Amino acid sequence: MSTMPETSAGTASGNGAVAVRNGRKQSPLDAGLTWLDDRLGVAKGGRTFLDKIFPDHWSFLLGEIALYSFVVLVATGVFLTLYFVPSAAQVVYHGRYKPLDGVKMSAAYASTVHISFGVRSGLVIRQMHHWAADVFIGAIAVHMCRIFFTGAFRKPRELNWIIGVTLLFLAIVNGFLGYSLPDDLISGTGLRIAYSIILSIPLVGSYLAEFVFGGVFPGNGDIIQRMFILHVLIIPVIIAGLIGAHLALLVKQKHTQFPGKGRTEQNVVGSPMFPTFMAKTTGFFFMVAGVLWLLGGLAQINPIWQFGPYIPYKVSYAVQPDWYMGWLDGALRIMPSWEFAGFGHTIPFEVFLPGVLFPGLTATLFVLWPFIEQKLTGDRAEHHLLDRPRDRPRRTAIGAAALSFYFVLFCASSTDLLANFFGISLNIVLWSFRFLVIIVPIVVGLFTYRICLDMAGAPRVGKRKRAMVVLRTPEGEYYTVESEPRPGEGHEELEPAPVPDFIEGIAEGNGAGETEPGVRRVGR
Amino acid sequence: MRRPHLRSLLPAGVVALAAVGGLAFSLTAGAVGRSTSVQTAADSLTPPPIHYVTHFTTGQVKEGEVLFEANCSTCHGTRAEGSAVAPDLQGLGPATVDFWVSTGRMPLADSSAQATDIAAFVASLAPTAPSYPDGIPYVNTKDANLQLGMRLFVLNCAACHTITGAGDALADGAYAPSLHRATSTQVAEAIRTGPGNMPVFGPGTLSNRQVADIVAYVTGVIQHPDDRGGLGLGGIGPVAEGFVALLFGVGGLMVVAFWLGERA
Repeated sequence: MSTMPETSAGTASGNGAVAVRNGRKQSPLDAGLTWLDDRLGVAKGGRTFLDKIFPDHWSFLLGEIALYSFVVLVATGVFLTLYFVPSAAQVVYHGRYKPLDGVKMSAAYASTVHISFGVRSGLVIRQMHHWAADVFIGAIAVHMCRIFFTGAFRKPRELNWIIGVTLLFLAIVNGFLGYSLPDDLISGTGLRIAYSIILSIPLVGSYLAEFVFGGVFPGNGDIIQRMFILHVLIIPVIIAGLIGAHLALLVKQKHTQFPGKGRTEQNVVGSPMFPTFMAKTTGFFFMVAGVLWLLGGLAQINPIWQFGPYIPYKVSYAVQPDWYMGWLDGALRIMPSWEFAGFGHTIPFEVFLPGVLFPGLTATLFVLWPFIEQKLTGDRAEHHLLDRPRDRPRRTAIGAAALSFYFVLFCASSTDLLANFFGISLNIVLWSFRFLVIIVPIVVGLFTYRICLDMAGAPRVGKRKRAMVVLRTPEGEYYTVESEPRPGEGHEELEPAPVPDFIEGIAEGNGAGETEPGVRRVGR
Repeated sequence: MRRPHLRSLLPAGVVALAAVGGLAFSLTAGAVGRSTSVQTAADSLTPPPIHYVTHFTTGQVKEGEVLFEANCSTCHGTRAEGSAVAPDLQGLGPATVDFWVSTGRMPLADSSAQATDIAAFVASLAPTAPSYPDGIPYVNTKDANLQLGMRLFVLNCAACHTITGAGDALADGAYAPSLHRATSTQVAEAIRTGPGNMPVFGPGTLSNRQVADIVAYVTGVIQHPDDRGGLGLGGIGPVAEGFVALLFGVGGLMVVAFWLGERA
């Protein structure tokens, strides 16, 4: 018996060690890969993948924060599904949190309290999951800003931009669903708002709301199961698929890059996937996971046990949604109370405009932006070199104005907290935001436009500044001279490293004296 | 002990309690017979959820008069009759005065025995109006029901004071203050007298037992929340959480990216 595994292992490695291909002996790893290649033809794709060149600029790593947050979300989410009970069935809680002992609540809420108190490491995983969601969407937003302001969405990357925008909105929706699942007092209030928003849609609103919730709010309790399956299966699968498409397009179309020495529209300069970028990005994954773990362990998020179960006639003041919903909540808060009543119908514009039309318009504008810009500039050429934001003052100004617009709306979702913190009237805060939401984007847009023009006109802009050394003559006169360049400041003194020739198709791009050390270049 | 004078009041309180108990005993004994009266006597031995101190010593009233003359009479008048700039305090009862003075709503922010002395003096000027409690409530939270307290708190208090008791701004400059530093007596006084914008929750709305349950929840769970899971972030919810997620989460990871990547 004991010799059996040994024998089979010995045979396998023996076969691998003596396997011969193209007249060369192969290691077991090579043999295994050869076996796969003979059947699946993975070598060609693998070569493309391993040779994928990543430009090294730090801002190209922002999307990876989102990617790795998503990995953490899936991992922690799987753990949570093992304990979460997606049911509105009423149970009596008997657990470790004494103030709720003997209280009637939904199974969803009871199981979330149980995850926080009764499951080993349940709370830290739950908090990691929530922090990862907040960071996921934050990273998407920051990544999207980088894409927008550098013009990386231009031809041929419009499709990838649309996929990215879709991912952003799917992530927001899924975040809201996850926030609503525990069925605590705060999230129940948010769900009530969502119900009212659906209700505000003219003609179909009331039917749609009852269809979604299985009756008049809070419905027949089906909403928790429906949100659960959307949150843990349907939307994550779509997100994962779109992320795959996003990355596949990235590999297919190759990376954009900032203009610089040796970088043209026809090449990509950077580190290859293997080994440089692989090592870097793996390290980055662990750092993202580490930061999320630290947040999950050190900072409390959404302490649902303090809120109690959701009961429709109970409400807490000072309720805000998670940050990524802040712009919608802010829009709802500062909207004047306009409504239309007539012909036996009421259309609450105060809810419909900020709650339905506004996010719809936002999504449409985001999706269409590459085409809108093409229309405005008439530029239909392919672009692989990125813009510096200051070189495109109009786009940068529009982007900054839009960003400030959403930021003001985001701040408007904490009107009550601002009023309380600064000890001023809530009504004044509300009215201030109604004006600020119009004034701030205009001011920011004009200001950005001006700054861009001035920066583009300044000499030596974008170049690294040399230190000025102040000297004093024996007569007491002061004067300044520019210091010597620091080591590594100009790469021109360094010898270019020869590019290894095992990458096919690299030779024609290897212009002598142009490539930086450790950097490869491939043609498009 | 926050109110050192309470010790001197205790014997008087016990005597008063015994007297009330005795009275109840003799009344019920006469009305419904022996067995029920034994039950009532046993009930009176367990302390009531709230003990209202209605009687004050002449020393307290005298001390209160001196304090009132020096600190309050400029606006409220020497007999607390009110003026153009300050309301009439007669008939508001000692609980109202004690609450406003001890919580610092009046310029004299003194939560010591002197607040009670002033309350005692004002109460001695006129009988308390029927809508206000005629004594300062001292709450016994030992037998209180936390679960019931939470339900009552969510139903009656959280709509303004928020579910974590952090307080928040209301419309037109009004605000619901934070409950995190209120004493049990102050919470009970606020419930019973309805200071400022707060409605009065009289005995017809909340029984003494229910007030004691709420007070126990506020001074227990609200003021000492189970903040497991790390830094509490002020109990104000997603605004603080979003700040941390964006600044430390996204911001911190951008610093890491900046460190990993090329800068130019």
